[in-house]
Amino acid sequence: MLDETKPLYIAVAEQIEDGILNGTHPEDGPVPSTNELAAFLRINPATAGKGLNLLADAGVLVKRRGVGMFVAVGATAMLRQRRRDDFARDYLAPLLREAAHLGIDHREITEMMEALQ
Amino acid sequence: MRSRNVIDMHLVNRMQAFGWPLVAVTFAFVVILGVGLIVGSQGPEAQAGMYYGMQWNGAIFALLGPLIGYGFTSMGQYFPLALGLGLTRREFATGLSAVFLGNAVIYSVLITSGKTIEKATDGFGLHVRFFDVFYTGTGASWQTLVQTFLLIMAVLFLGAAITAAFLRFGQAFLWVAGAILALIGVGIFAGVLLLDGFGRNLLEVMTMGWGPWMVVIAAIGAASAGVWLLLVRRTQVA
Amino acid sequence: MSAIETRNLTKHFRDVAAIDDVSLDFAAGRVHGLLGRNGAGKTTLMKLLTGQIFATSGEMRVLGENPVENAEVLSKTCFIQESQKYPDGFRPLDVLRIAEGLYPAWDQGLARELVADFRLPEKRAIKKLSRGQLSAVGIIIGLASRAPLTFFDEPYLGLDAVARRLFFDRLLADFSEHPRTVILSTHHIDEVSNLLEHVVLLDEGRVAISAEAEELQSAAIEVSGRLDEVTAFIAGADVLRVQEIGALATATVHAEPGSADRARAAGLQVAPVSLQNYIVHRTTAAAAAPVT
Repeated sequence: MLDETKPLYIAVAEQIEDGILNGTHPEDGPVPSTNELAAFLRINPATAGKGLNLLADAGVLVKRRGVGMFVAVGATAMLRQRRRDDFARDYLAPLLREAAHLGIDHREITEMMEALQ
Repeated sequence: MRSRNVIDMHLVNRMQAFGWPLVAVTFAFVVILGVGLIVGSQGPEAQAGMYYGMQWNGAIFALLGPLIGYGFTSMGQYFPLALGLGLTRREFATGLSAVFLGNAVIYSVLITSGKTIEKATDGFGLHVRFFDVFYTGTGASWQTLVQTFLLIMAVLFLGAAITAAFLRFGQAFLWVAGAILALIGVGIFAGVLLLDGFGRNLLEVMTMGWGPWMVVIAAIGAASAGVWLLLVRRTQVA
Repeated sequence: MSAIETRNLTKHFRDVAAIDDVSLDFAAGRVHGLLGRNGAGKTTLMKLLTGQIFATSGEMRVLGENPVENAEVLSKTCFIQESQKYPDGFRPLDVLRIAEGLYPAWDQGLARELVADFRLPEKRAIKKLSRGQLSAVGIIIGLASRAPLTFFDEPYLGLDAVARRLFFDRLLADFSEHPRTVILSTHHIDEVSNLLEHVVLLDEGRVAISAEAEELQSAAIEVSGRLDEVTAFIAGADVLRVQEIGALATATVHAEPGSADRARAAGLQVAPVSLQNYIVHRTTAAAAAPVT
């Protein structure tokens, strides 16, 4: 359920981000509380809280005193932009590395992508 | 008062605390009544002989015996549980002393009542002796009350002290204690055989009368309680 | 604030040092893992901290005070021992009733729920319970006592997968709502690793590790690939273990910032090392000592 190659709280934050990007957590809507998240993911509440705070510090979530955390207005666009920025590093670089191992050149990759669509 | 929980623990197993001693004493009592019936059918002379001889009969130990075991069980089984549940040794010692006191009061009153009835009914109409024997005191009822109370307290504390010493010093304690008891036994035996007047003096000590004997029992009880209290504060749960 | 502090704590059993010069801090309000092989001194340490045995030397503070013969501290401490013995004739019902009287924060409602969840036969003599049912008695006391400091020594013994999951979820839920200090000693590290915030590893009575669980979870990586590439990559690295299979090799190394990316760039496969595997690698005696 969670990506094990990263520190747990970062995986928690990324999962909430995924939820925001795919509309599970709409903007201005609430996200699960620390304890709910901890119970759902079977992790320590402190870790869940750290993941949520990471997003709050980045401006993705906003705290409303006594109520909980909500998705910031504009968070979807912000996350999308950041993921676009990371796309080349996270997805293209490994793809090109593997392609080099297998002797697949750029023209072939383009052809494969077209065939998939 | 957390020591109360030690008393509660000892009341959990009611069969062990009261049931078995009462079952055992009832059984022994029935046996004695049976003996009384059989001997009684053989005429008054036999009955009188029986009445005299029965002052030495140890059927009452059906009750006193389990009480010795009670001291062992308390230290051996209840002490580790009490510590496991976060009671201090001091709290356990306080609670267990109350348990011992309660036991001694209940059973000494029981035996004294039995003895009073036994004497009033002429041995339950059968000329038997069950409660009115040498070990519980053949004197007045109040003497029996004092004697049985002291005796029960002494055996309870002695059992607890022995178990505490075993927990503290392990198997070595049993060997040393056994060796000392054997030496004392051999010493007395040798004294009687080899020393002039030793046997007679010993007999005089043994028949020193009720008062001094009570002091001896009380001293054994107090010494056991002292040793137990000293050891229990230093006992670790393996 | 520390729930537990020890300084140079030492316990000898005759000439064997079961706990050897241990100085540790356990912060309050967290879940700590107390790990190590059998005989590493975990149970001995917990028995010292709960005043069941006496230290040979050194100091300890539990909830701010010396715990030995300290009713104030001990009534706030619950130690669930794997080897707890119960008197003859005791039933779970009896133990729970007595525990209820001893722990000021006891939650009877929770105790009832847990008895039902674990399907504990309350009226059966404890001597006739299975190992798993015996563990359940301890778990119920440990959770329902709501003690500010709770030790669980091998709570998983004999429990099936369903009951283990139940314990984990109940502990997590109750800890979330009623934060307290929990010391969890277990060999089932993988099952509880996501619950631990801080980990202490004991090895032959000494502290081998005392660190944040998060650091340990990313403390090492496993790289695998062609032998020459792996060999080149691990040159100069802090290597925990290398395994070669023909022309292939797998190595576990201490991770430094960016080492996973460098390994990938060098054409190696990178996998995380679980807390359990990391602990196994770091337990020096694991390979040398015979399994007992």
